[in-house]
Amino acid sequence: MENMMQGKHSLRKRPLHFFSEVGMSLVLTLALCGTAVGQQIPVSGTVTSVEGQRLQGVGVRVPGTEMRTVTGADGRYSLTAPANAVLTFTMVGYRAVSVTIAGRSSIDVLMQPAIAFLEEVVVTGYTEQRRGDITGAIASVNLESVNKQTTSSVIKGLDGRVAGITVETSGSPGSRNTIRVRGVSSFQNNDPLYIIDGTPIQDSYLNFLNPNDIASVQVLKDASASSIYGSRASNGVIIIETTRRGRAAGPARATLQVRTGVATPVRGYDAFLMLDALDYFEILKRSYENAGLAVPTNIYGNVANPTVPAYVWPNNGVTPTTTVDESTYSFPDNLIMRGSPGTNWWDAVFGPAFVGDYNLSVAGGQEGAAYSASFNYFNQEGTAAYNRFQRGSVRLNTQFVRGKLTVGENLALSREQSYGGIDDGNIGEDNVIGKNILMQPVVPVYDVGSNFASGKAVTLGNQTNPLKYAWGRKDDKSNNDRILGNVFASFDATQGLSLRTRFGFNLGQGSFAGYSPISPENSEPTTIDAINENFNRFTDWTWSNTLNYTRAFARHNLAILLGQEANQNTNRFISGGMSNLLNNALSSRYLQDALGDASTKTVNSTGGKAALLSFFGKADYNFANRYFLSFTLRRDGSSRLGPANRWGTFPAVGVGWRVSQEPFMAGSQTFSNLMLRFGWGITGNQAIPSGRIVSQFGGDRGDTYYDVGGTNTTVVQGFRQTSLGNPDLKWEEARSVNVGLDLEFLDGRATLTADAYQRHTNNLLFDPPTPATAGVAAPPIVNIGKMRNRGIDFSIGYGGSSWNVSLNGSHYRNKIVQIAGDTSDFFYGPQSTRYGNQVINKVGYPIGAFYGYIADGFFADAADVAGHATQDGAAPGRIKFRDVDGDGQVTLADRTVVGSPHPDFTAGLDLGLRQGNWDLSATLFGTFGNEIFDTQKEYYVFRNFSTNVRQDLLTDSWCQTGDAGCVTPADPNAKYPRLDQNDIFSHAISSFYLEDGSYVRLRNVQIGFNVPASWIQWLPAARIYLQAENLFTLTGYPGLDPALSVSSQFGPAGDIRDQYRGVDRGNYPSSKTISVGITTSF
Amino acid sequence: MKTRHRYPLLSGATFLVLVAGAALYGCKDFLENAGTPQGTLDQGTLATKAGVEGSLIAAYRMLDCNSTVGAWGCAASNWVWGSVTGDEAYKGSEASDQPPINDIEGYHWATADAEGYLNEKWRTVYEGVVRANATLRLLKQIRDEKPGEISDADAARIRGEALFLRAHYHFEAWRMWGNVPYYTEDDTDFKKTNVGVDAAASILTDLNEAITLLPTSQNDPGRATRWAAKAYKGRVQVYSGDYAGALTTLREVRTSGPYALETSFERVWTGFQQYSNGPETILAFQASVNDGEASGWNSNWGERLNFPHSGSYFGCCGFHQPSQNLVNFYAVDAVTGLPLALTNPNWNANNATFVGGAATPVDPRLDWTVGRDDVPYKDYGLHAAGWIRSSTYGGPYSPKKNIHEKASGAESSVGWVPTQTNSVNIHIFRYADMLLLLAEAEVEAGSLENARTIVNEIRTRAGVRAQGCGSSDAATVAKYPQCAGDTRMAVPINDPSITWAVYRIGLYATPFASQAAARTAVQYERKAELAMEGQRFFDLRRWGTAEAVLNAYLTIEKSRRGYLVGAEAFASRHRWYPLPAIQIELSKVGTELRLQQNSGW
Repeated sequence: MENMMQGKHSLRKRPLHFFSEVGMSLVLTLALCGTAVGQQIPVSGTVTSVEGQRLQGVGVRVPGTEMRTVTGADGRYSLTAPANAVLTFTMVGYRAVSVTIAGRSSIDVLMQPAIAFLEEVVVTGYTEQRRGDITGAIASVNLESVNKQTTSSVIKGLDGRVAGITVETSGSPGSRNTIRVRGVSSFQNNDPLYIIDGTPIQDSYLNFLNPNDIASVQVLKDASASSIYGSRASNGVIIIETTRRGRAAGPARATLQVRTGVATPVRGYDAFLMLDALDYFEILKRSYENAGLAVPTNIYGNVANPTVPAYVWPNNGVTPTTTVDESTYSFPDNLIMRGSPGTNWWDAVFGPAFVGDYNLSVAGGQEGAAYSASFNYFNQEGTAAYNRFQRGSVRLNTQFVRGKLTVGENLALSREQSYGGIDDGNIGEDNVIGKNILMQPVVPVYDVGSNFASGKAVTLGNQTNPLKYAWGRKDDKSNNDRILGNVFASFDATQGLSLRTRFGFNLGQGSFAGYSPISPENSEPTTIDAINENFNRFTDWTWSNTLNYTRAFARHNLAILLGQEANQNTNRFISGGMSNLLNNALSSRYLQDALGDASTKTVNSTGGKAALLSFFGKADYNFANRYFLSFTLRRDGSSRLGPANRWGTFPAVGVGWRVSQEPFMAGSQTFSNLMLRFGWGITGNQAIPSGRIVSQFGGDRGDTYYDVGGTNTTVVQGFRQTSLGNPDLKWEEARSVNVGLDLEFLDGRATLTADAYQRHTNNLLFDPPTPATAGVAAPPIVNIGKMRNRGIDFSIGYGGSSWNVSLNGSHYRNKIVQIAGDTSDFFYGPQSTRYGNQVINKVGYPIGAFYGYIADGFFADAADVAGHATQDGAAPGRIKFRDVDGDGQVTLADRTVVGSPHPDFTAGLDLGLRQGNWDLSATLFGTFGNEIFDTQKEYYVFRNFSTNVRQDLLTDSWCQTGDAGCVTPADPNAKYPRLDQNDIFSHAISSFYLEDGSYVRLRNVQIGFNVPASWIQWLPAARIYLQAENLFTLTGYPGLDPALSVSSQFGPAGDIRDQYRGVDRGNYPSSKTISVGITTSF
Repeated sequence: MKTRHRYPLLSGATFLVLVAGAALYGCKDFLENAGTPQGTLDQGTLATKAGVEGSLIAAYRMLDCNSTVGAWGCAASNWVWGSVTGDEAYKGSEASDQPPINDIEGYHWATADAEGYLNEKWRTVYEGVVRANATLRLLKQIRDEKPGEISDADAARIRGEALFLRAHYHFEAWRMWGNVPYYTEDDTDFKKTNVGVDAAASILTDLNEAITLLPTSQNDPGRATRWAAKAYKGRVQVYSGDYAGALTTLREVRTSGPYALETSFERVWTGFQQYSNGPETILAFQASVNDGEASGWNSNWGERLNFPHSGSYFGCCGFHQPSQNLVNFYAVDAVTGLPLALTNPNWNANNATFVGGAATPVDPRLDWTVGRDDVPYKDYGLHAAGWIRSSTYGGPYSPKKNIHEKASGAESSVGWVPTQTNSVNIHIFRYADMLLLLAEAEVEAGSLENARTIVNEIRTRAGVRAQGCGSSDAATVAKYPQCAGDTRMAVPINDPSITWAVYRIGLYATPFASQAAARTAVQYERKAELAMEGQRFFDLRRWGTAEAVLNAYLTIEKSRRGYLVGAEAFASRHRWYPLPAIQIELSKVGTELRLQQNSGW
């Protein structure tokens, strides 16, 4: 048995997971040298799995001797062995354990399943392949590490745990994930393709999938691995297999997993924004005085002796209000708000949040049938008020075998509900994060009538109370129901020939009901309330049929796959709204004439339809497990593309050479495995909206309708062209080359996998702007450009007997090589600030580069102003912009690329330590060299809209002699420009907004204890643990949280969020989560 | 796909048949069917009379901002481009709201902020052109393919309206940028150059054809008529310096056309349905509210920021505040009732907030144009200091013309701050404007008495009615007890209820002393009559006085509005607004930029 395992061992390629090798090595070592001598004593104990199951049939022996036994049905064993001997415990599917007896008579042992660490056979497409036979760049995910992250979605945990993958997400529960495999290959729609139990889906959330149901995750990173999914594989393919059916034979076994915890934001604005009303006044005062303007007196009164006013509302706009008859208060017409000495707005909105994750799974089977079922309830509150996500899911996987026929299904039902609607949270002024900056400290949270207060009085800005905003939306519920699964049948014909058909379905429906309250307390009040609701439904089915043939003769191994697939998806969305509810109770929030102003009722529906048809084949050959060759060919037809260019061909080749199998390497003491890999292939992308091959026409009531009859209340229907079609649309293609190396050394304890790659994307699909003289119709989508990604990723691991460490790292460089067409070599990013565009896509630079003036410090004095190129509004203490083109004037032509959101390097470090029943693990993540465009400086530095500002504006703003509070006149090292109410120039988009976004974060630290079953007879064995996430962050980023999500950005041609990365526009911060958990089986 | 293996007996052969069936599964149809866009119209569906009429409606819709082009640089009134850059108004609000307008007001027109606004205006006018041309093309297609679909009369009318609109949108572009490309329905290249283009000539060509095609009257008041096209032609002639041509054109409109001045000034800008589209309207954006559009986009969208702020009934947003210069300008000579500016060089000396109750005699149009403290604000009670968003920034006054009367019912009940969303039509060209253009032409022709008649006609109407109590709310009655029970919004200018102002307006009783005096009188009348209507900057530029007037204005106004210290002096390059840089970039063909930037930018 050992020999056999050794043989397999040497064939394996494991980039990340080395525990098993370590265990095996240890066994072998002990087998060779562990001959025991000395006093013989009786030893007994219980062997349990980490899930708490008592293990039967575990081999227990003293290596090098004939002393051996196996455990019984109760997991117990007993034997006699030398008092100083080593006992080994082995069982198929579990990692071997060895324990020194050290004179003890009772030794309980816990065994780790091997399955989570290495998949001897991995699902790589429509087939399964032995790990060691793979020539493409495929990474297996260490799920144990991933599952330590408290999250609704498994993909959120992949960040830093797989070389070459980045994940950006916000701290809002259930929020969207931007997962990218080896950078960005397209201007739009860069989500990888997910294959869940063989069914392809595209999704940025994956919240419907219970992470605890997942048995394995493989990431196909290069084209030689992924082009079997040609049509949608350009952005990488992530293959997720859920819990395999229960053991073929055996009683039902249940596993219970429970984790609960408390989360708090990693950092709040209260760490650096003004908290004191009078400190804030000082900013106001200096800004006005430095500009030579009269300081407003309506709130703080006498400028020389300012005080927190008794009331901020009512206010006459001139003097503070000292007395008000509070008994005259009435909502909404006569509001009264007291002045606050300093409201901590962050504290008002953010606080501790509860999270709970509950799982029960049952698996079992008998001859010819196997099943598993699982139930999950997950409930995560956001750290922001009234923000919550919860999910319930049920999964059923079964399989029946009768003779040569196997049939079965995988089926998951889930419902997600989220409240608070914050989602990716990176939406500027329009959420509780942005609105937090907008509130001045003198404004109270509540008015005297316990309704929400706000800055209604002049000079208090233009904002909504962020807590009010959250409160108003507390019942805004978003529901998502999903049925995902497939039914399959396979027939093992004969002699390695098998046929398989699989019908996969992804059915969903979602609904949302939202409410907007009145806001009479606002400076810009809303006097009517409104509801809106929507419902959507989609059907996405894939039918695939494959034929497999495998044959081994002599030392030749051959596997052939032929297949065909059809996919269709349809969706329909209906939405409506109404204003002026007569009664705003939840029970009255329906779209019915009687319940509000019927004339404001609206309804709209939209839909979409698209299809793919595919044929594919693959041949894998190896000689003596030494030379590997694989060919793939796929042809896809897409309904989205022009009739003449509908079909694309996606070939790939993979070559592998296991050098360690060569005779000259035989007996090498250094390397137990050395494999070189090469892959080349083409993948495709057609992820654009359907129907863009023809021009479209339409009309919208707020756009083309017009009251030509002069009625004041009735509009006549109008039409316009809404989009320009392009009948020549063709496939976007990515050609990629990958060179890889797998190494195992130090007796298999150490592993290294490294890959270098280059990917050229051609015929990039995008819709560059047309001149306005062609109208505002959506520009045609065209195949306009080329992009290149180059990079390396690697993972190194080492496992000692009681500890292990693994490091993975990746680096990529993205570059736009060409933007074709006759317009220009650039186009702007999707979302501009109030001061213009800050993102550009330009030839020679990476996608979504930061763009603006170069800020060259501050003008020192009048001579400096005179000596500089002519610049609008130039004055001492204002930001000096570089005259890049040297024409003596600072103009729009001097804007240039000033930074990039792409990191130079990202890395993850996993550490593990095991001692007896205790284990300790930690995961660190780091990103280096990426820049953040801190749009929030619009507010907390430039005070746009009279918002709150950073505390250090008081001490670190440039000042000159004579300015109030000036300590270091004309300090060239000042952080901020001079406080100057008339400075409407320094805020121009420039490198001043850029910050280094590098950080290192302790993602997770967990300490676990295995409670042996023998401790408490009537309880199953269990593992209990305590963990902390995001305990500390090392960063120089002065904003809220450098771990930014990528905000939702959609253009007419689809999802364009990659053109808007690294922009901080009010990002929901990550959470520091402390939790406890228990895992047990019975 | 409907069949699946149920029994072990199902043989591999059956399976293969299935696979083959799937492969054949409508290979072509399967993809083709799924490629049809969902929920949109195609060109064929619109090739009907209803389709072309709808296309024309969409062309009208570009007269103001809409949900596609956004706000506020697209406003029908041009308040950003014609008022704020003139001497009559400030941006208003507070410094950090809509900062691009700070740059535009300070003549910093080359900043990224300003460019965004310029681009919005450019996109709006050329979308108007695109929609007009789409109508013309569709009309031609239907006439060719379905000869009986549209009657000759309708076809002529539709073509006439589309040509009129195309002329209007190009006029808007021409008046902003001077050097602009001209697009017709036959153009397929959308990167035409702006070099050497005589846009005015093309505008006149289109208007001349429209005049031959359009009916003299239309059932829908929002549609262009032959008379509207003629009046517009006169406007273009004046703008292009062809006073002689304008004289002929506009005299004909005056003598034979259907237009007249409204009986009293407050009925020109109104929310009352019965007064809108009165005899004075030549071309107006037809605003509507509560028309089923959930955000109020069809309302006075371009003007909706221009309402008093938080302490007022409206709540938001305090933009487009009248200047101290404008307020001072309404002072009249106590004896003659003529503008004080004619005779007193110190007419603009007053720096203090001009509140109600002062004895200074003023033109009654002041209190229909400017909201000021202690004076009734239409029928909303007294304007008060707390209505101003930031008086230290934008001064103490509010705009007034675009405000709907509370009693008019013109207010929206949907959208963001519905109290500032109304169905007050936005005048693009009204008869008083046309008359004053004619008066200019008369002056240049030397027929000064004709000009005097026109100016006096305008002044007579202005003297009919002034702001009344409007409201009997507590604050009004406390200040003006005579207003108890008196809610008349408009009263004769000598009504005893008026104690907040002394209204006087006199006629030019004697012939103008000289052509120059006549010119001044006409120009002053334009300032008083059309104030806050987006005309002032374009008038000053047309007259060649922009540099002198605006720099003098800035010199004084810098002491009143501290932020104007940062304003750039008006220089020769400000003759035209700069083209949006992005549009120049997008006009690139190979390495050639088809659009050329205006000189100095």
